[in-house]
Amino acid sequence: MSARDPGTHEDDPSLARAIEDLYAVISFEEGGDPNWQGLRALFSPHARITRVTPEGTDHMDRDGFVAMTQSLLEHGAYTSFYEFEVARRIERFGGIAQVWSGYETRRNRHARAALGRGVNSIQLIRDGEAWRVLGLLWDETNARPDLDLGAIAQRGRA
Amino acid sequence: MGKARSFFSRGRKVQTVERLLTDHQQAGLIMHRAGSSDGATWVVDGQPMVNFASCSYMGLERHPELLAGGSDALATFGSNFSISRAYLECPLYTALEEALGEAMGVHVLVTPSTTLAHLAALPVLIGDRDLVLVDQFAHASIHMATDLVDDVPIELLRHNRVDLLEQRLREAGDDVERVWYICDGVYSMLRDFAPFAELSALLRRFPKLHLYVDDAHAMSWTGRHGRGAALSRLAPLDRVVVAVSLSKAFGATGGALALPTAELRDRVRRCGGPMIFSGPIAPSGLGSALASARLHLRPEFEDMQGELRERIAYACEGLTAAGLDLATDAATPVRVLHYDSVPAAQAVVRAMRARGFFMCIATFPAVPVNKPSVRFTISRHNSFADIRAMIDSLAAIAHHGPDDEASAA
Repeated sequence: MSARDPGTHEDDPSLARAIEDLYAVISFEEGGDPNWQGLRALFSPHARITRVTPEGTDHMDRDGFVAMTQSLLEHGAYTSFYEFEVARRIERFGGIAQVWSGYETRRNRHARAALGRGVNSIQLIRDGEAWRVLGLLWDETNARPDLDLGAIAQRGRA
Repeated sequence: MGKARSFFSRGRKVQTVERLLTDHQQAGLIMHRAGSSDGATWVVDGQPMVNFASCSYMGLERHPELLAGGSDALATFGSNFSISRAYLECPLYTALEEALGEAMGVHVLVTPSTTLAHLAALPVLIGDRDLVLVDQFAHASIHMATDLVDDVPIELLRHNRVDLLEQRLREAGDDVERVWYICDGVYSMLRDFAPFAELSALLRRFPKLHLYVDDAHAMSWTGRHGRGAALSRLAPLDRVVVAVSLSKAFGATGGALALPTAELRDRVRRCGGPMIFSGPIAPSGLGSALASARLHLRPEFEDMQGELRERIAYACEGLTAAGLDLATDAATPVRVLHYDSVPAAQAVVRAMRARGFFMCIATFPAVPVNKPSVRFTISRHNSFADIRAMIDSLAAIAHHGPDDEASAA
């Protein structure tokens, strides 16, 4: 298994696909935008998004998350964003799932090393045939480029 | 009305900036104190380092004529001329504005700094029925000034996106009298140019379009008589206002506004707050600036510009040959290399200083989060040998890593 391949530790491929979609919709190339339409489709209208930073915690609904991201882009905080999963642990019961997803951010797709590494806590709910993100929580305070995420992958494989 | 509000509060942004700059300070990469300097070499924290960080691109700050001009003015008028220009101005202002007007080919108003030029001009230039569009990476002092204009719509546009500017021009209704597009001539952290050719085309097509360009980093080293990039490459100029710096490549101190008419210049002088309320430039600064302006008008100044261009070209070729990841290929004195992370960029700056080259870290919020950078400049102070040695060191660090002591030899 390569470092970028989180593997699939879940019997429902649509759940793995939802997590892959999450990283896909928030990533974008230089000068572009996140996939706003895909993001709105993936996130439940009831979703809560929580971002922990050294300066404070941002509590957002789906529209608030879009507004924060648009503001960051408008003010030039990011000109591209590339984040992918490097480790995953899933706990699922029926139509609800909780995912501990280790991520790595790079300055672009061609970068050789991490801009940052951290953990996304993702809660999903089954909505018909698809899974939708009901909660997304991450901690930028403790994210750093050399963060070891092996423990999450190890637990995921157990 | 006013600028689109940031998602984050002012206090939150201050906290973020403090955290990020404290990190650099604790890493020993900012807030240094210089010892002596001869232009080519700076003594930083007791260690002599080759200067690859100065904005004095033309290396004029020790030119004998500028030193004499400052010294003569000091002897004639004293250490300051302390009265608002609204009442009485040092006569050197008049001489300097005339000389700059001849060099720049427009009407010039000298200001205490480029930042104060923006603060004086923009609230006067922008009318009640105007729409203001600002490049998202325009200099911080531009954003500071547009914050003062809170009764008209102000929008941020993605960097150098002329297509978005054209779209907003098309959308502007009859209720919009003028559309101001505000940008930098040379972006000091991204080190690229404004899209002058495309902007000139829009000026010709849209009579409502007016440009305000911060050309601080393009003054002196480019253009006829050093008039900068905007005044050289934009046409027509009858709806263009340019702010420049006299404190960078010009070799003196202060700022200046280049305006299309004498009436507009006089209006900014009469009504622009800092033109009335802020202290005037000290006579020694005016004397050096006047000497520099006269130097800019002499034929040999083109040769001096050529000397810098040769060094920039030499650096560009060397950096490209070394396979270093240049941000853009625009031939400006500002060079920027991107690294994968903030610690990686910090390590390169630290390693270069250990090898005797002074260059700077550039990370968010000076540049986007996704572009941790090492920023350095080329000036006429730099010898070709120093440029070669600097590039060899950057390449060695890229190849061996910043902690490889063997590559520091």
